[in-house]
Amino acid sequence: MRARSTLLLLLPGLAFLLVGFLLPAVAMLFAPPGVTFAQVIERMGAMLTDPYDLGIIWRTVRIGLIVTALCVVLGFPIASLLARSQSRWAGVLLALAIFPLLLSNVVRTFGWLVVLGSNGVIGQLLTGLGIVEKAPQLLYTELAIVLGLVQLFLPLAVITCYSAVAQVDPGLDEAARGLGASRTRSFWTILVPLSLPGIVVAATLVFAGSVTAYTTPYLLGGSSQRMLSTQLFSYASVTVDWAAASATAIVMTVLVFLVSGISALVGRKGATS
Amino acid sequence: MTGQTLNQGAGRSLRLRHPVAGTLAVAGYVIMIVPILFVVATAFTAGSTLRFPPEGLSLKWFGEAVAYSPFTEAVVSSLELAVLATALALVLGVPVTLAIHRGRIPGKGLLEGLFLSPLVVPELVVGLALYQQLMIGLHLDNFTTLLLGHTALLLPYAVRVTGASLALADPALEEAARGLGASPLRAFVTVTLPMLRPGLISAGLLGFVTSFNNVPLSLLLQTRDFRTLPVTMLDYVQQSYDPMVAAASTLVLAATVVVAVVAERTVGFAKIFGGINR
Repeated sequence: MRARSTLLLLLPGLAFLLVGFLLPAVAMLFAPPGVTFAQVIERMGAMLTDPYDLGIIWRTVRIGLIVTALCVVLGFPIASLLARSQSRWAGVLLALAIFPLLLSNVVRTFGWLVVLGSNGVIGQLLTGLGIVEKAPQLLYTELAIVLGLVQLFLPLAVITCYSAVAQVDPGLDEAARGLGASRTRSFWTILVPLSLPGIVVAATLVFAGSVTAYTTPYLLGGSSQRMLSTQLFSYASVTVDWAAASATAIVMTVLVFLVSGISALVGRKGATS
Repeated sequence: MTGQTLNQGAGRSLRLRHPVAGTLAVAGYVIMIVPILFVVATAFTAGSTLRFPPEGLSLKWFGEAVAYSPFTEAVVSSLELAVLATALALVLGVPVTLAIHRGRIPGKGLLEGLFLSPLVVPELVVGLALYQQLMIGLHLDNFTTLLLGHTALLLPYAVRVTGASLALADPALEEAARGLGASPLRAFVTVTLPMLRPGLISAGLLGFVTSFNNVPLSLLLQTRDFRTLPVTMLDYVQQSYDPMVAAASTLVLAATVVVAVVAERTVGFAKIFGGINR
């Protein structure tokens, strides 16, 4: 294919990418309407020293880390059981784990309102059994956000770990077992280290998703448990503070880039050593 | 892959080989699936609050949801947007894939990275940028802005997923067609396009679902005239606490099951999602 026709193939796509993504994203960082770049930087400086704003950043990072850990701890066993199973049910269970990826986040998160709400399943169960007199406040807590985000991102962790485990030769586990290693030992010394690159990818995707998700903290966290995403929306739509919105957007983007960068480095180091 | 395991192990039961791993796996499935089941259960309530167990059985909330014009209008808007954005992303993305895989140009890795970049930046941030720069700055209407944004968001899927199909196709076949006198267009339509079919279906399904369900990118780009379904539902939940959204959610769930069955029958479920993250 000649260079000129190659360029013709690329041009329409490039034009769309520039107008629909790249140019607005860059322009927002440097020149929000009526605000200078210096003011954005100044607002970001204020944000990084203000206890309230720092609290939101820290809550976002903390929830992201907890959700990531839970998704790996729950997702890797599911992936390894399914990848190593000979059962006909494994296919069905894999489909069941992937299906939520197709389903709207709003629908999935809404389920927790039914489960955790004041007239919800857990509250009714606890009061009905006489364990507590009044249903505990479960909604609009950090726990609710964590549960909602784990539900949202566990399928992603399962499918990413699944392809990692599927690439590990089952003969290696069998050899370890044949040489007398216990099931637990062969899991920790063979399967986990050999699937580690996949686990790192899964963790990165889950973390990036958790710290940028909007639906879950909005519905399950309310205004008392603000995260960067809900705060960003409030700056952009309620108070219309462009400098603060851009500054929050920069903090959020840098957070995601930082973690993706670190994980890429870890992945490369893991591949060469 | 799934099919293979399925046939090999027909008849054998799934054993949870390790008690700890088994418990964790069960807990994972409970968190993923059980809340969705409760949504369906509460949708059939005859009562007027979102409580469980439901107070009596009825279909009245389904009737309410279907008759509620903000929802029905939003369904039409979301379908319109998802179909157009997916089609546009494929029409723009397939030539890009061809250029990257078949063209003789420098910097292919960089180019591919550029087209995948919308996946890396938080969607809420992109939404803010489009709202500020295109809707407020350039006075574009919100449908055009949404279409631009959704198309850019789906371009990575179109480029990467069809690229995976193209990488498996032998370029010699196209050259043979050209050598036998076919025009470049004819060679593309008769030889390359059929090889791209599974990738096109996967990218199309993924793109459609991604656009239809999107919240963060669309959130700031809503107006009274054109609102998308997930954002409309989100606003409704925040205002009132009745089971109508449970009914609407159940209908969305039913539609999603249909999409999943189509996906499984055409290209296979696991394949669609296997390729996008790597």
